[in-house]
Amino acid sequence: MPRLELYSPEGLRIDGRRWNELRRFECKINTHPNSSDGSSYVEQGNSKVICTVQGPMEPKLRSQMNHDEANIEVNISIANFATFQRKKRSKNERRIVELKNTLENTVKQCIITTLYPRTLISINIQVLSQDGGLLSSMTNAMTLSLIDAGISMYDYVSSISVGLFDQFPLLDLNTLEENELSYLTVGVIGKSDKLVMLMLENKVPLDKLEELISLAIAGSHRLRDLMDNEVKRHGKLRLKNLN
Amino acid sequence: MQLSPAERDYLYDSLCLQTPIRPDARNLYQFRPLEAKTTFLPGSNGSARLRMVDGGECIVSIKSKVVKNESVNSLLECDIDIQGHRDDSNFVSNLKYNLTNLLTKNFPFDALRLTKKYSFKLFIDCIVISHTSYPLTIISLATYLALKTTRLPLLVSEIDDEEVEEQPTFSDDWEDSRLLHEITGQTFQPPIMITVGVIGKNLLFDPSLEEEQVLENGLIISFYNNKAITPISNMNLALNANKDNYKGIDQSLIISAINMVNKYCSAVIHALDTLIEQDDEVDGTIF
Repeated sequence: MPRLELYSPEGLRIDGRRWNELRRFECKINTHPNSSDGSSYVEQGNSKVICTVQGPMEPKLRSQMNHDEANIEVNISIANFATFQRKKRSKNERRIVELKNTLENTVKQCIITTLYPRTLISINIQVLSQDGGLLSSMTNAMTLSLIDAGISMYDYVSSISVGLFDQFPLLDLNTLEENELSYLTVGVIGKSDKLVMLMLENKVPLDKLEELISLAIAGSHRLRDLMDNEVKRHGKLRLKNLN
Repeated sequence: MQLSPAERDYLYDSLCLQTPIRPDARNLYQFRPLEAKTTFLPGSNGSARLRMVDGGECIVSIKSKVVKNESVNSLLECDIDIQGHRDDSNFVSNLKYNLTNLLTKNFPFDALRLTKKYSFKLFIDCIVISHTSYPLTIISLATYLALKTTRLPLLVSEIDDEEVEEQPTFSDDWEDSRLLHEITGQTFQPPIMITVGVIGKNLLFDPSLEEEQVLENGLIISFYNNKAITPISNMNLALNANKDNYKGIDQSLIISAINMVNKYCSAVIHALDTLIEQDDEVDGTIF
């Protein structure tokens, strides 16, 4: 039994949400107009992530050049102060390298890479504060900054985590819930049911998997709308400044 | 951006004039415009984000931890992380050394003493998201803002714990927390470091990337309590150094640089303080 009452009999979670509620989601694009080609800032609950994109540009090294498609590179750095207890992290920590590979594989499927041969697209992700949903907030931030950079993509990739409490699926976990429950993170392309990413590090009963994934897809669609609103808001602002 | 030889010559000549012309039409003692935000990280005691007009940006967080006095050698720990540079590179370790050295020598450590056995230890973490010119100025100005807005919780247990085995306890109410200068009861202006470029007989504050490429030398001067202080050091500010330009420095220029810092840096501090005041209606957003 978990130490905390993660899901009360009345159907409320620790932070007062219902099972299918998202945390506060706020995002901004074009936050670093002078230092990058595309940038974004995402807050999911208390998780805060900054993402900047450089490129498509000429790679510094010949070895980074691919003649058929763009080379995509993701760098993740998690600030020492991101967690409650300050902790010094090395960049080559295995967990971070795994996240980096997952994100690289995800983003390669969403960008139309053949449009940018012989170029490098470099994505830098800076995590300022971590409160659950690390991978999903990084994915959402990455999508937004790629859109801001004007890089051709098939559609938005929106991502969210879902956990399983006993028999009940819970949407968008925070740290406390993540520590106690088994959970998975999915990345969904646009408004479709297609997954580009699925990360499951614990065990989940097979007969519950479908239920979890369908909840995650519904949550991702909601996030996609929220991100789309921000992109449109920014687009209108730019258009207004032009005239 | 790398300048061509012709551009470099042109820039060099215009900066060497008796009344120099800087590429962005600034005065010699003028900083680039900057924007900043404070207190946006709820998990840190103090935080600041500072951005220069050229896109250089630094985020500083200050976290505190209660430690036993005898178990630590310093109550301050600085760490700098620069995107695109290794943590153990010369570039990063130089910056880290400069900042740690400046702060440990000019800090009111009394504010951190809790009881006879316990103290606060401050962890100052700087993240440079992007930079074009030498990042020490933005790091140090952002640290100033973060330290100025750092709040520490109020101690409610006894101060004298020599005799009793008691762990310090704190007020649950964050409204009771105090800023560093409220704890010492004196005005507290954290030290800052600024970069001064030397070219010909001229000195220029806060050189930009283009200016750094033609500078003959660079000075780093510290400023604390309304006057220039040591450490004062000189270095080549340009990353991709143009070696033939780099020259020794005339002694008299060091004196005039110190005079210039004494004269104009209070204005910088004043500007930063005003920024904090205006930022006071905390909305907790970073952008």
